[in-house]
Amino acid sequence: MDQGPAPGLPRPRILLVDDDTRTSRLLAHMLREDGFDVEFASNGAAAISRLTRTPMPDILVTDLHMPDVDGIAVTQFARSKEPLLPVVIVTGHPNMAIGLGATLIPLPVVLTKPIEYAKLAEELRRVSVGIVL
Amino acid sequence: METRFQEMKRYARFGQDDAKLVARTKAYCAPHFTRIAQEFYDRIREHEDAHAVFTGEEQILRLQRSLVRWLDRLLAGTYDESYFGETIQIGRVHVKVGLPQHYMFTAMTLIRSELDRIIVANGGDAATRDALSRLIDLELGVMIEGYREHLSARIHAKSEHANQELTRTLARTEHRYISAVELAGVLIIGLDTTGAIRLFNREAERVTGYERDEMTGQPFIATLMAEDVVPTDGTRVARALAGESLDTPVFESVLRTRAGNLRDVRWQLAYAPADEEDEVVLFVMGQDVTDARAVEELARQHEKLAAVGTLAAGLAHEIRNPLNGAQLHVSFLERALKKAGAATPEMNEAIVVVGEEIKRLALLVSEFLDFARPKPLKVDPVVVQALCHRAVVLLAEQAAAARVQITEDLPAQELVIHGDSSKLEQVLLNLLQNGVEALAGGGGGHVVLRARRQPRVAVIEVEDDGPGLPRADAPIFDAFFSTKANGTGLGLAIVHRIVTDHNGTITVESRPGRTRFRVTVPLGNQ
Repeated sequence: MDQGPAPGLPRPRILLVDDDTRTSRLLAHMLREDGFDVEFASNGAAAISRLTRTPMPDILVTDLHMPDVDGIAVTQFARSKEPLLPVVIVTGHPNMAIGLGATLIPLPVVLTKPIEYAKLAEELRRVSVGIVL
Repeated sequence: METRFQEMKRYARFGQDDAKLVARTKAYCAPHFTRIAQEFYDRIREHEDAHAVFTGEEQILRLQRSLVRWLDRLLAGTYDESYFGETIQIGRVHVKVGLPQHYMFTAMTLIRSELDRIIVANGGDAATRDALSRLIDLELGVMIEGYREHLSARIHAKSEHANQELTRTLARTEHRYISAVELAGVLIIGLDTTGAIRLFNREAERVTGYERDEMTGQPFIATLMAEDVVPTDGTRVARALAGESLDTPVFESVLRTRAGNLRDVRWQLAYAPADEEDEVVLFVMGQDVTDARAVEELARQHEKLAAVGTLAAGLAHEIRNPLNGAQLHVSFLERALKKAGAATPEMNEAIVVVGEEIKRLALLVSEFLDFARPKPLKVDPVVVQALCHRAVVLLAEQAAAARVQITEDLPAQELVIHGDSSKLEQVLLNLLQNGVEALAGGGGGHVVLRARRQPRVAVIEVEDDGPGLPRADAPIFDAFFSTKANGTGLGLAIVHRIVTDHNGTITVESRPGRTRFRVTVPLGNQ
């Protein structure tokens, strides 16, 4: 597949947060094949704990609804460390994500489940090019 | 001109000579005045009814003194207009104190005979006695005249006052009742024994659209009740008219207005028997509950939808998560097969089918959410031409693939409505897509998107020359009704909801070869 970043450029680092472990592992696998470095957290607390360490991810991809710590909390924590961090929220509640994320600047990208893999990869490539430049 | 007194003197033949004769008697009569007055009032004291007129001895003594003055005046010899005026006053006072007229005669007879005796005793001649007698007659006549005048004036004034009072009371009562009937927020219709309308209040005019003049004399049941309810509710009114008491004097029925619209009215019947045939015997009072009904119904629907919406939102999340997993696994499978070089055409097709089915489920979830939990309208001025054009552009590719030609028929003058442009766009997209899909099976055709300005509304029509709806009465706007093999059955339900949320209407006309959806939305300046 050719959705990945151009060869020779550093691989963008993605933190993928979702409590659906099976699907996330598969998604991480495909993204790695397409030229991304992917770290995975299966809940909000684990994601925050990862975000306290360096290096920070280049992009945060998170689910909205998760037990205890939700995607908005993870996003807020990440933005407290890295104010311009690109965020993609993948959710079955797009309206809620748009509503809750409305105060976040820059606005998170909201994708509705079920996501098309090609569309997600395209979005990530677009965002990652922005970082590298 | 001759005055009344002059006329009376002439009639009694009492002249200047008579006056002189009388005046001459004063000298020898005057010493008797006090005695005559005393005897006069003694008489009165003897008579209970006459005595009852006076308030006490004090008053009688005063009256005795005034009688002496009267005698003195009687014999003074000047009988002019002012004399007449004073005598008239005496008659008036008698009215005031309530002394019946006949006492005047007996009193005068007493005075006449007393004075006559004195005149005779003092050698008075027949002419003198006669002159005095006529003078006393004259005095009596004038007193009676005063009495009569004053009494009739008093009676007249009294009855006038009573009349005025009565008129005022009547007017007040009438005003109260008319106001109560006219200002009441209920229909009040009065029927005579034949069931003809005799009373028709303002609210009745407002609700029915008829004016009272044209309703007076019309049969209530045939004119105002909807045909369907005449056998039941009409009978009820007829029975009440006959004086039968009803088990349920309050009932809901349907009224037909002048414009032919039907209104729900809660009626109450009140029977009031009357003697005259054209008198109101049955009061039919009603309250228009149509709007209240509609509001209740809407509130119930909203409540139901809100509950469904909450459920739908929760369910959507639960469905979208596994769909997401399925979708990603299909993508993975597709890639893995490709990499391994093991993909057969059948395998690829199977993957496409699973992918499409997932998308369809995802669409169903999204559409169901749109229907059950719509986002509030974001109302802005919307230019209809631009809206139509955008929808056509968005659908151009799909139309071309189905070999369907979409034609725009839009007015030259800018047409502006107030609405939510993205929702209205969804309406046009859904309608156009339906048109395109209806034609796709038959190998293509034409869809026309037309917009027109009408006095209060913008009319937007989507017309196709496809096979038409299978049945004219198909409930196409109901949720989950679909004529398409892979339709969700929500497209037109959403369209209907969006249009009605804009206070608009949507109708459809369909026959083989032409199906036309017509949407109206109030103009921007409404």
